[in-house]
Amino acid sequence: MIKMNNVTRTYQGQDGEFNAVDDVSLEIGENEIFGLIGESGAGKSTVLRFINALETPTSGVVEVDGTDVFSLSKKKLRAHQKGIGMIFQQFNLLNNKTVRENVQLPLELHKYKDPLSVREVLEFVGLSGKSDRHPSQLSGGEKQRVGIARALITRPKILLCDEPTSALDESTTEEIVGVLKRAHEKFGMTVLVVTHELNVIKSMCERCAVLEKGHLVDIIDVVPGAGRPDYESYHQRVLEVLKNA
Amino acid sequence: MPDNFPEYIQRVIEYWPALFESLWETGIMMGFAMVAAILLGLPLGTLLFLTAKGQPMQNIFIYQLSNAFVNIVRSFPFLLLVVAMQPFIREVYGRATGDPVAASFPMMLIAIALYARFVQQSLLDVPKGVTETARSMGASIPQLVWKFLFVEARSSLIIGFTTAFVSFISYSTIMGVVGGGGIGDFAIRYGYQRYETDIMYTAIIVIIIIVQLIQWWGLRLAKKLDKR
Ligand SMILES: Nc1ncnc2c1ncn2[C@@H]1O[C@H](COP(=O)(O)OP(=O)(O)OP(=O)(O)O)[C@@H](O)[C@H]1O
Ligand SMILES: [Mg+2]
Repeated sequence: MIKMNNVTRTYQGQDGEFNAVDDVSLEIGENEIFGLIGESGAGKSTVLRFINALETPTSGVVEVDGTDVFSLSKKKLRAHQKGIGMIFQQFNLLNNKTVRENVQLPLELHKYKDPLSVREVLEFVGLSGKSDRHPSQLSGGEKQRVGIARALITRPKILLCDEPTSALDESTTEEIVGVLKRAHEKFGMTVLVVTHELNVIKSMCERCAVLEKGHLVDIIDVVPGAGRPDYESYHQRVLEVLKNA
Repeated sequence: MPDNFPEYIQRVIEYWPALFESLWETGIMMGFAMVAAILLGLPLGTLLFLTAKGQPMQNIFIYQLSNAFVNIVRSFPFLLLVVAMQPFIREVYGRATGDPVAASFPMMLIAIALYARFVQQSLLDVPKGVTETARSMGASIPQLVWKFLFVEARSSLIIGFTTAFVSFISYSTIMGVVGGGGIGDFAIRYGYQRYETDIMYTAIIVIIIIVQLIQWWGLRLAKKLDKR
């Protein structure tokens, strides 16, 4: 489904050129939830952004469904991007648009065969009552739900998540991970999650690649986390963690 | 102001037709300048933003060319720009002096350059994530501009326009030199050349009130549209 062969990305750094991504090869299967972890600056985002061509490799090949992404014409490239949803660390919502308008935005750019309705998708992410709010009136977790709804409304075949929970606190992180897992179950898509949070990988990914200074050093079969128990409330969770109650 | 208030009112009423006519001439120049700012300054500023390094339409040649245009027009002392444009205006409009339409040409030029810069700055202030999101969705360049950038920049585009508008008024007062008329010309003719100081101050106060009103209204609109 997604295939990278000897992909390298060279940047001009302060002391000359360096490879932010160095000779990475990997394969992500259809409908898989694949993780990509590494320290800050390891090159995770760069690898993820090859898939929807936000970033161009200096050398190597990136294939999606057998098509070489970087051989596509401008028009075909947009069609390729149309089928890929993306979720960002900083949510990247348009602050002057309401929740509804944000979620609807992808449908204004392209014609989709069988998109979800705004109502459906907002209900799915648990934001039914908030469609007329603006992002500034939402919490971080709610903003990310809007981001997820905006990605899901097109029924993407690939969902790219770049640090989807890194701007959120722990319990919100679990909620968002929950939403992403449900989305995968319900709509079925290939998911790539980039993060430095191991528990996020543990609770949602089947396999995961480890990136160090641009090198892919390992691909791990994740032993599915029992996940964390579902706490009834934030208070419960604090008691559990702090007092082993 | 004369000691005698009724006498002052009397004089204002007497000069009112002339004052009104200069306001009308200023209005014509401002109208042309504003239309040019929107129809040409806005696209030019957007082009400056889009063709800069690292932006979606990166094109060094177009960027340098538009940048040079904006810089040259803006750094030209306005009075000299007015004089330098006379032959050109005569060529395309038939006459270069003595009417506010002819006087509008340099106004339009400065309006385009000035507002283009404001637009460029407004778009630079839009978070980079917005462009990134548009690209990730496969948005075309017109979609990026209309559905993303202008939406997020709209209140700063309006504030920029308000600021530019106030500068246009200032520029328009110079046009009396080539017989373009306007409120600045009025103030010079009556206040400076004929020592009718009270009438000059009246004209100045009218300008200040207009500027304040426009500014107040522009900021209010910008605030209303800003949901950030
Ligand atoms: N446009 C660029 N120009 C120069 N260097 C860049 C550019 N983009 C990224 N880099 C560098 O490439 C390296 C990898 O960046 P990348 O964003 O992929 O890392 P990351 O693993 O996602 O890190 P983080 O966890 O901080 O997001 C970093 O050292 C970064 O500074
Ligand atoms: Mg990153």
